[in-house]
Amino acid sequence: MRTLLLCGMAAAVAFSTPTLAQQELVINSFGGSYEKLHRKLVITPFEKKYNVKVKVVTAYSSATLAQLRAQRTNPQYDVAHFSGGLEAVAAKEKLLGPIKPSELTNYKDMYPFAVAGIEQGRGPVYSVAVIGLLYNTKSVKKPPTSWQDLKRPDLRGRILITDAASNTYGMLGMLMMNRAAGGTMDNIGPGLAFVKGLLPHATLISKSPEIQQNFAQGNAWIAAYAQDYAFTLTKAGLPVKFIVPKEGAAFAPITINLVAGRKNRDLAVKFIDFSIRAEASRGWAIGLRYSPTNKAAKLPADVASQVVYGPAAVKKLVAFDALKIGKERPKWNEAWKRAIAK
Amino acid sequence: MVGGIPLVARFGGALLLVLVLVFMLVPLAVVVGSSVSASEFLVFPPRGVSLRWYEAVLSSDKYLSAGWTSIQLALVVTVASLAVGTPAAIALYRFRFPGSEALGSLFLSPLVLPTLIFGIGMLMLFSRYGSGPSFFALVLGHLVITLPYVVRTVGAVLHGADRHAEEAARTMGANLWQRYWFVVLPQCREGMAAGAFFAFNISFDDAVVALFLRAPGIDTLPLRIYSELEFSPDPSIAAASTVMIFITVAMIFVIERILGVRRLAGSGR
Amino acid sequence: MSSRSEPFWLLLPGLLVLILAFFWPVGELLVTSFFTAPQAGAPPAGTRASAGLANYAKFFADSYYLGVAERTFRLSAITTFFTFLLGFPLAYIMARAGPRLRFWLIVLTVVPLMTSVVVRTFGWLVILGRGGLLSKVLEWTGLSASPIGLMHTETGIVVAMVQVLLPFMALTIMGVIAGIDPKVEEAARTMGAGFFGVMRTVIVPLSLPGIVAGSLLTFALSISSFITPTLVGGVRLPMMAGGIFSHITGSLDWNFAAAMSMLLLLATLAVIVPYAMLLKRRGA
Repeated sequence: MRTLLLCGMAAAVAFSTPTLAQQELVINSFGGSYEKLHRKLVITPFEKKYNVKVKVVTAYSSATLAQLRAQRTNPQYDVAHFSGGLEAVAAKEKLLGPIKPSELTNYKDMYPFAVAGIEQGRGPVYSVAVIGLLYNTKSVKKPPTSWQDLKRPDLRGRILITDAASNTYGMLGMLMMNRAAGGTMDNIGPGLAFVKGLLPHATLISKSPEIQQNFAQGNAWIAAYAQDYAFTLTKAGLPVKFIVPKEGAAFAPITINLVAGRKNRDLAVKFIDFSIRAEASRGWAIGLRYSPTNKAAKLPADVASQVVYGPAAVKKLVAFDALKIGKERPKWNEAWKRAIAK
Repeated sequence: MVGGIPLVARFGGALLLVLVLVFMLVPLAVVVGSSVSASEFLVFPPRGVSLRWYEAVLSSDKYLSAGWTSIQLALVVTVASLAVGTPAAIALYRFRFPGSEALGSLFLSPLVLPTLIFGIGMLMLFSRYGSGPSFFALVLGHLVITLPYVVRTVGAVLHGADRHAEEAARTMGANLWQRYWFVVLPQCREGMAAGAFFAFNISFDDAVVALFLRAPGIDTLPLRIYSELEFSPDPSIAAASTVMIFITVAMIFVIERILGVRRLAGSGR
Repeated sequence: MSSRSEPFWLLLPGLLVLILAFFWPVGELLVTSFFTAPQAGAPPAGTRASAGLANYAKFFADSYYLGVAERTFRLSAITTFFTFLLGFPLAYIMARAGPRLRFWLIVLTVVPLMTSVVVRTFGWLVILGRGGLLSKVLEWTGLSASPIGLMHTETGIVVAMVQVLLPFMALTIMGVIAGIDPKVEEAARTMGAGFFGVMRTVIVPLSLPGIVAGSLLTFALSISSFITPTLVGGVRLPMMAGGIFSHITGSLDWNFAAAMSMLLLLATLAVIVPYAMLLKRRGA
């Protein structure tokens, strides 16, 4: 009897916890070292400046897009971060809302390509990642120069392949391998055959921390992944270098987008504006070697040499049509699942 | 004694027992062990000894808010399952009516059906006719999987309890409410305590139903551990998990104390 | 005579819960499984566009999904077998032990059971990973020359699942053996049967209903398992529950996910109904 009453009282207390007058913003972030830096550069300073609470959901872009689609009638996010062009799909499906240039105080400082789509719902690009090859300089005697080098016999058993279905970096890596093997976005057969040929000698991973684990344990010497991650590994004491293969490296814009249909639009726009400011852009480059998109972000020379600096350099990267990605992805995922299943 | 257990069987049995017990407990031991590692990596045996990960967990908003959500949820679910399950058990095991056995099986069936099904079914139902996953949906989802435990434990004590006490109270003029408050419910007490223990534990530990019915911002502790495991594995996960193990073990001993003492007190009736 | 409608009012809240959280959702799953979405990734909550058995046809016509089902059933059968192999001796010892030993054995069996499956699986990730505890033990005993791991292998899945399901099997069988009068064992022994003879001719036959019930329960829990096979097996070893999850959260084909869920439910019922009948026969 007493236990019942006690439980009842506890439940009553639980239900009646007074809600603070603090406003709340719900965003997604990508976990691990990325999220740590994200909090330091943007989330925590924003919370302090505007006295709000930011709820961070750790989810990669593919998962976030799926959630926004499922929540269409009652979206649960205010701001969504996307990589790999998924924002174009989300904007087309009216899941994201437009922003007027006048609403962003940092608009004038952004490279034109970074803010080209904000009025159609495609949020500003606040970082650029580059997908190429990472390799262990100590273990790999002859540095790789091409995507085809993944097939080299001396690298057998030491290759990391990233799951294309759940990770946009993995998808871009697969598209680049496909390109190098002669395929197109309409026909990824060559790319899948290439990956299938590598699988017996490779480890398949799906999340960024697994790359570090495998490199640290010495069972991976080469991976198709992002330039910024190479820096994370060197910071952790691993002799890793990033190269742009001769067939090219993929352009992976990371965007911050306004989710449509939410009540606190003003606060969300303020957050987006805060995220693209020069200080943040500089911080991403220095902290994780992401390429900046804000002209006013001045980088020290050694950092500048390790990122893709300026629109001219960005043009040299291989960009995949985001809308086409959105259209083809479900087919690619089905084919990918079958290719990798044992 | 004629042909007692041979030494071979005794020795072999003891060895097998130890091996099986080690096998059953080794994951828990590894979790606890790697939580005191001083290094950044999840390794066992731990490299160096340090409590820094406990410090990290106990000062991290991520884990604290998830833990608080889990506790709130589990408390609500426990109270609700007692409130719904106790009368159901009384109806099923005190009254004889056609179909009571079949209905009893129905109430107990979520025990053996995949919890996945409830999670998915409710997700689809609440998305079509409501606004999707919510705290309420999660409570309901947990309720359906904890209810069988309460019904079973309360039913078990009712089964052995004295029916005639209720009859006697009635002949002495007790009305419906008095009958229940003074006779039936006290008889259910032990069953309710055991049921509450199971309900709290099941809700606190559940990851599958919560995975389908979670809304952003409502993260339970098992889900937070699952998510951290995927995105940023480090010993803080082990520390958070050890706290969960510790709560479970503490609860087991507490409930054993309560029920044990009750039994001693009740036997002198 | 107590009011006829009293049991009805007592049952009403419980019935409401069952309807809202069990029958209606399962009904929703059933109905949704008979429709297909016009294009992949389209409106959520499953469409009601075109009706038919297309989802089921898709499942059975595709060697990929048949492979997923085959792996699920095969690994579950292997898991059930090993769970029995380890669980039976444990159950026998628990049932025949003195009160203090039995208390501690039950506690040690219940503690992992009452711990979240996420925590237990996480422990296995650390043990089975390359360079993890298992690897270290194998290297130390000389059975392996270099760091290996059982992560992302079917063996690893079985090992972790056996540990997760062992308490269910052991407690089910223990209940049955505890019900066998020790005097029957003693009688057999006075008639000259050795220890293993008694086991073979008395214990196993008498506890068979419990063994079968425990195995059916273990199998049912195993085929619907999600967390453990997904974390230990990885992306290249998909199983039913993981496949359903990826269709719900990844490709958003809720109709197909509903069809897979119904198939899983049917498979579970096919195993659980005999289990329930066995328990009833025992008079549980």
